Amino acid sequence: MSKRIQSYSIERQKARWGWIFVAPTLIFFSLFSFYPIFNAFYASLFRKKLLSLKPPDFIGFNNYSYLLKSPDFWNSIRATVVFTLGTFIPLLIFSLIFAIFIMSRKRFQNFFQMAYYSPAVLSSVVAAVIWLLIFDPRGLANQWVNFALNTPGIDHKWLASSVMVQISAMMVYFWKYVGYFTIIFIVGLASIPQSIYEASKIDGANDWKNFWYITLPLLKPTTILVSIMSMLQCLKTFSTQYLFTQGGAPLAPINVITLNIYHTAIRDHRIGRASAMSIILFIIMLFFTWLQFKFSRTDEVSY
Amino acid sequence: MDHKLERKKIKTSYQSLVIDIFIWVFLIFAALFILAPTIFMFTASLMPASDVVKMPYRWIPGGFYWQNYWQGIRGNDGSFIYIRNILNSLIVATVVSVSTVFLSALAGFGLAKYYFKGRALVFMMIMGTMMIPFEAIMIPLYLVTTKLGLQDSYAGLIAPFLVNAFGVFLMRQYFITFPDEILDAARIDGASELMIFKTIILPNSVPAIATLAILTFKAQWDNLLWPLLVVQSEEMKTIPLYIVKFMAEKHTDEGAMMAVAAIASIPILIVFFRLSKYFLGGAALYSSRKG
Repeated sequence: MSKRIQSYSIERQKARWGWIFVAPTLIFFSLFSFYPIFNAFYASLFRKKLLSLKPPDFIGFNNYSYLLKSPDFWNSIRATVVFTLGTFIPLLIFSLIFAIFIMSRKRFQNFFQMAYYSPAVLSSVVAAVIWLLIFDPRGLANQWVNFALNTPGIDHKWLASSVMVQISAMMVYFWKYVGYFTIIFIVGLASIPQSIYEASKIDGANDWKNFWYITLPLLKPTTILVSIMSMLQCLKTFSTQYLFTQGGAPLAPINVITLNIYHTAIRDHRIGRASAMSIILFIIMLFFTWLQFKFSRTDEVSY
Repeated sequence: MDHKLERKKIKTSYQSLVIDIFIWVFLIFAALFILAPTIFMFTASLMPASDVVKMPYRWIPGGFYWQNYWQGIRGNDGSFIYIRNILNSLIVATVVSVSTVFLSALAGFGLAKYYFKGRALVFMMIMGTMMIPFEAIMIPLYLVTTKLGLQDSYAGLIAPFLVNAFGVFLMRQYFITFPDEILDAARIDGASELMIFKTIILPNSVPAIATLAILTFKAQWDNLLWPLLVVQSEEMKTIPLYIVKFMAEKHTDEGAMMAVAAIASIPILIVFFRLSKYFLGGAALYSSRKG
């Protein structure tokens, strides 16, 4: 009897230590994640100006209805969606191709992995600054494209035309992150047991059949993970677009949501409206994260 | 019959050779495309501005034009503020890394090895914060920071990043396989729970700690958005803010611009080439976070 009581109290003591270990992190997240997101929602219901001494007016969902009618906000949605689709689809396709090609080599696997990953190591500000010079009218981008297309002396207006500046931003992002997703695909490929390929070889399958009927289906969970992760990344893009506009590119074509939030809050001082935009961004990203959880649970493969 | 088989064999080996060559060429071209901008940054940083934007670009610099680096460090106004800004980045990234590793290890250990009521809920709450993007809460965080008078200070730069959910998850996954028997043996020997954490857990989790520390350091070294909000003075700027400012200034020449970018990149590239397994491993770990 006494033994049971003793072990019970040891368990209780251990439980207390569990709480003690978790407590600092839990307090941190309450202060720096949960409180701010509720606060953002609360602030989005007010007309509130930064640095203003006037108490904020409660206006209900007016900020949201204003945004839904504002062409500027819809332009931001358009810019973000175009950027996300235009970046994540090439990212997905090329990182898969790179991973399969690298894994098919017997030598230099490590060299290619490091070479492709290296831009992800540079900071996004550095990346944008380098590409600003490459996109200069006299820069490398024009030189290469004119060489490839044999059209000497043509300026493709990488940062000036509203279509090209969007493509330029996508290229920077693609360049920076393609190696990162290649690595994730390589990990996914490496986890497919070799015995499956051996079995299919005995059955007389060729490389193409192997790829189509074994590799691709078994990579489905990794593919879904990569698509949603890259999509979430693209939705949050800020640095490239910010640097481009600082370097003289037109704002409207690349005015993504995060950039618009920043401008609305810091330049225009409209805290309520910026908070409403933050909440909309949060809901969009929540939706994609929910998708990720849903797919990653139902698509667990076992070999 | 035999002949036919032979011909088919030759044909497939010829085909596979063509495919083989195609893959090599593709991979090498892609590598050149991906490496070119970084090489451009380093070569351009050693050239006078007139050579940087020149048609055609000469990939091999004529000499070591060190004035670019001097100009970059000195700044256009001669204030040498870049040195202070680099120091700021180092301080912020180091403090954030240490605190993230420590708090993540603590929480990860608590979640992996202790059974307490509400543990599942706590874990879910912490993982839930991954769904809250920083971009969505930066405005309220900014308001709180200014209200507390922490804008333009180290505390303000550091506070929102003291720990993150990914770190807690990483450490928990790492500790969960740690044998309970060792911990119990230590308890029987009279070790307190804190002692166990300090003398058994921390020394035995070096790979996980290194991965998390490097990823956190790198993220802070890059951080643009938050410093852009909270920093006002030149003295408190971090490297990304200095680069933005340097780029926007009137008298900036392209060679010096690339020198400033190169200075910001060299330390992190050295760490990458020395410790690439932690970088690549970190990317891989991210993909397993669904567990």
